[in-house]
Amino acid sequence: MGATLVILRKDLLIEIRRKDSVISMIFFGILLLFVMNMAIGIGRKVDPELAAGILWISILFSSVLGLGRTFSLEKTNRCIDGLLVSPVAPSSVFVAKNLVNLSFMLISEAVIIPVFFALYGDNITVRLAPLLATVLLLNFGFSSVGTLFSGITAATSRNEVLLPLLLFPVITPLIAFTVKATGEIFAGVPFGEYSSWLRLMAAFGLIFSCAGYLLFDYVMKEN
Amino acid sequence: MDDTAFLKIQGLRKSYEYVDALRGVDLTLARGDFLCLFGPNGAGKTTLIKIVADLLKPTSGTVEITGGPDLDSDIRSRIGLISHQTLLYDELTARENLQFYSSIYQIPDPDDKIDSLLHTVGLYNRREERVSTFSRGMQQRLSIARALINDPVLLLLDEPYSGLDQFAATVLSNHLKKLHAQHRTIIMVTHNLTRGLETADRIGILSEGRLVYLKDRDEIDLPSFEDHYLMHMETN
Repeated sequence: MGATLVILRKDLLIEIRRKDSVISMIFFGILLLFVMNMAIGIGRKVDPELAAGILWISILFSSVLGLGRTFSLEKTNRCIDGLLVSPVAPSSVFVAKNLVNLSFMLISEAVIIPVFFALYGDNITVRLAPLLATVLLLNFGFSSVGTLFSGITAATSRNEVLLPLLLFPVITPLIAFTVKATGEIFAGVPFGEYSSWLRLMAAFGLIFSCAGYLLFDYVMKEN
Repeated sequence: MDDTAFLKIQGLRKSYEYVDALRGVDLTLARGDFLCLFGPNGAGKTTLIKIVADLLKPTSGTVEITGGPDLDSDIRSRIGLISHQTLLYDELTARENLQFYSSIYQIPDPDDKIDSLLHTVGLYNRREERVSTFSRGMQQRLSIARALINDPVLLLLDEPYSGLDQFAATVLSNHLKKLHAQHRTIIMVTHNLTRGLETADRIGILSEGRLVYLKDRDEIDLPSFEDHYLMHMETN
């Protein structure tokens, strides 16, 4: 756990100094919200399911920007070799990078979600606790898969192109569960009717976080 | 593995899709040996260093490293690596980089050691400046400090003189001599014949993935060695 926290602290310190990942995520997410708002018609009410789709398109596409940069940091000057030669277990690197991605997503969502409600909130029931649970479960699953694939594609020269191509087919079920759950939360449906979606999201996150933890040794070392 | 061997490489092969980088390398080093490997570009030198450092998996063959009774059981935590890449984070200061590496090696109370290493490589006065503001030579000097932070018993150097100014090259040579005197095992690959022959006590030539020459430096007639080396450069 010590090494995980050391890597997490280092990555957050670098992001505080560079500010490029989180700012580009926030900017891109808000830009998508505005573009879709203009396409639908400014001020026009949207039904809860469509609103859920708009919210998650903005968050997921902007989050990919952050994922791609998690390992580009380690590629510069081959810093990854410094980690691999050290006694740090690759699984600790996975956990640290996963936490870094989760942090970046949470920070960008803290800005994107209020902007979303400002633009699309007219016809939506705001229930904070279930929405927060959905956000956390989506982040957990997306970040686990994203960290794993970000590690795989880091060794390639065109990782920014390859990462979304690998990532989105795999997270399609997670996106579907999330949009369904959020649509029902926005529609004011009782918890029991969408809790199964949340359970599926949790299962997805658990499976891929375990897979990443166990497979990262193979991912990080060159064959 | 015999009792005196510190590092034993047997039948090491590494094949990429179209290239055989290593074609059966056998090598045994005792503790305290300083081996300098020369060889033309593409001879497999970097591949060999990466496999010994456990950064790359061999196609076949083995690398065994034993610490001996007086060393930590986890010998992997006592390997130092210097390559032509610095392995440093540009946005962190010199001190923060060394603090990061001392933390992942779990070095207790590292501040004095960090200060001492920064003095050694002549960067103490610039310890609070970001690495991105350093020249290539200064970055490489800091990279030497980074590689020594865990007090390595096995030091792997891949073209360490690349991009170094005269001061940094002398710092590195002096430090290597000091580490050698402390009975550290060192493997260095370089094109710099003068520096290599001046510091190492065993000299090898790797050519087309094979170790084609290996002698103690005392046995070598330097002019004829240079001819031998140039011959391999031409045939490669």
